[in-house]
Amino acid sequence: MTAPQDAMLARGPAATRPAPAGGRLRRALDGPGAAWASTAARLALAAVWTWAGLAKVADPAEAAQAVRAYRLLPEALVKPVGYGLPFLELALALLLLAGLGVRAAAVLSAALLLVFIAGIGSVWARGLTIDCGCFGGGGQVAASQTRYLQEILRDTGLLLVAAWLVWRPRSRLSADAWLNS
Amino acid sequence: MQMSEKNRDGKRSARERLAAERQAQEDRARRKRKLVVLGSVVAVVAVAVGVGVAVQSRRSQPETPVAAPSGAVGDRKLVIPDGAANAPATLTVYEDPRCPACQLFEKAFRPTVDRLKDEGKIVANYHIVSFIDRHDSGTGSKNGANALACAQDAGRFRAYHNVLYANQPPETEDPWSNRGALISLAGKVPGLDTPAFRACVNGNTYGGWVSAVQQDFDKSGFTSTPTVLLNGESVFPRKGGQDITPANLTAWVDAANKGKRLGTPASPAASPAAGPSASPAAKAHGRTARRHHRPAASPAAVSPAPAAAPLAPGAAASTAPASTR
Repeated sequence: MTAPQDAMLARGPAATRPAPAGGRLRRALDGPGAAWASTAARLALAAVWTWAGLAKVADPAEAAQAVRAYRLLPEALVKPVGYGLPFLELALALLLLAGLGVRAAAVLSAALLLVFIAGIGSVWARGLTIDCGCFGGGGQVAASQTRYLQEILRDTGLLLVAAWLVWRPRSRLSADAWLNS
Repeated sequence: MQMSEKNRDGKRSARERLAAERQAQEDRARRKRKLVVLGSVVAVVAVAVGVGVAVQSRRSQPETPVAAPSGAVGDRKLVIPDGAANAPATLTVYEDPRCPACQLFEKAFRPTVDRLKDEGKIVANYHIVSFIDRHDSGTGSKNGANALACAQDAGRFRAYHNVLYANQPPETEDPWSNRGALISLAGKVPGLDTPAFRACVNGNTYGGWVSAVQQDFDKSGFTSTPTVLLNGESVFPRKGGQDITPANLTAWVDAANKGKRLGTPASPAASPAAGPSASPAAKAHGRTARRHHRPAASPAAVSPAPAAAPLAPGAAASTAPASTR
C-alpha cells in the first residue's frame, strides 16, 4: 500500500505538470491498481484500528489512566474518552474493513490521528514522561522509556495512509463499490 | 436545458432531454446513496461509542469497593495498616507486588521498618498498587495484591508481604499470573494456607478492591513505586538532601516523634495462645500489629515476638514461627 503512495509522492508534481489529464500516472492513479492500493490501505488501517481498539477494551480503568496521563483533559472527561475511544477505533476498523463510507471513515481516521499526534507532541513539549497508550498500556514511564518520536512517526505514516483514502476512497471489495454497482 | 432550447427540433434533442433526465435521476440516486452511507457511518460510530462508554462504565470496578479486607483503613478502606494504630508517626508505602525497586526497598529497609513498627514508633500504611500488570502486561500484580488482602483477612499481612518480596520473580516474568504460585508461597507463612485463604485467592475476592486501590494511586499524582512518605513527606529515595538509609530513617522517625508518646504495639504476651477463627468477621474490629501475628488456624501455635521473626529471603519457611509448632 505504501509503494504506489511513495511513487505518487516522489513523482507526482513532475509527472502531472506536462500532461495533467492524460499522463500515465493519471491513468495509473485512476486505474485498477489504485483501487487495489486503496483496498490495501483500507485493510491496513482497519488492522491497526482493530489492534489499537481491542488492546484498550480489556481494562477500562487502564484506558482511563492512559488518557489521564496526558494531563490535557479535565477529570470529568477522562473516563468518557478512555472508555469510548477504543470503540471509536473499532467502529472505524469495521467501516474500513467493510469499505462502507470509506472517505468519511478515512477523514475521521485522519482527524483522530492528528489529535493523537498533537497529544503526543504536547506531552513531549511539556516534558512529561508517559507511554502513549496507543496500543493498551499507557501512563507514566521512566524518562528513558519514552518513545515520542517513534510514536509520532508511526502516526504520521498512518496519517498518510488515511490521506490516500480521503483522496482515493474507491477500492475493490468494498461495500461502497457494491452499493454503486 | 440551454442546449435543448438551441436545438429544439428532432429526435436528437428528445434523446438528449431523456439522457439529461436520466442523468439527473442518477445524480439524485447517488446523492441519496451518499447520504445513506454517510448516515450509516455516523450511526455506526455513534452507536459503538455510546454502547462502549455504557458497557465500560458498568464493567469498570466501582471506585469504592464493596469488599475490603478486614482492618483496612482510610475513607474508602483502601489502605492496609501494619503497626500500632496509635503510633505517633505514619509511614505511607505505595508498593506493587511485581515492582523490583520495591523489592530493593524491602530488602534494605524491611528490618528497620518492622522494628520501628514493633517499637510503637510508626504505623505503616500500605497501598498495594498493581500497575506493573499494565506496563509489562500480565496479572501477577493484581493477583498478588488480592492475595495480600486475603492474608490481611487471615491476620498475616506482614509475614506474607515479606515472603512475597523475598520471593519476587523478575519483573518481566509473570509466574504470579498463576494463583497457585501465590498459594504455594503462602505455605511459607505458618497458618496462612487455609481453605479460606485459598478460596479468597482463587476467587479473586478483593479484585474490586485491588482495582480501586490502583485507581486511587492513578489519581494520587504519584507516578512510581515504591513511594514512601513519612508523615506525608517523601523520604524515598531521599528526604531533603539526605539519602535514605536504615540509620537515617530511624533518625527521621525519632526526630518526628520527639516529645510524643509512642504507640502500643502488640506484645507477644498479649497475643492469645488460642487462635481465633479465620473468618474475616471475627477480626473485623482489630487493626493493630497484633493481628498480623496472631495465629489463626492452629490453636497450638504461639505467636513469637514479631521482632524476633524476620523472614529471611528465600528461607522464610524456616523462621521462628515454624519452629514453635
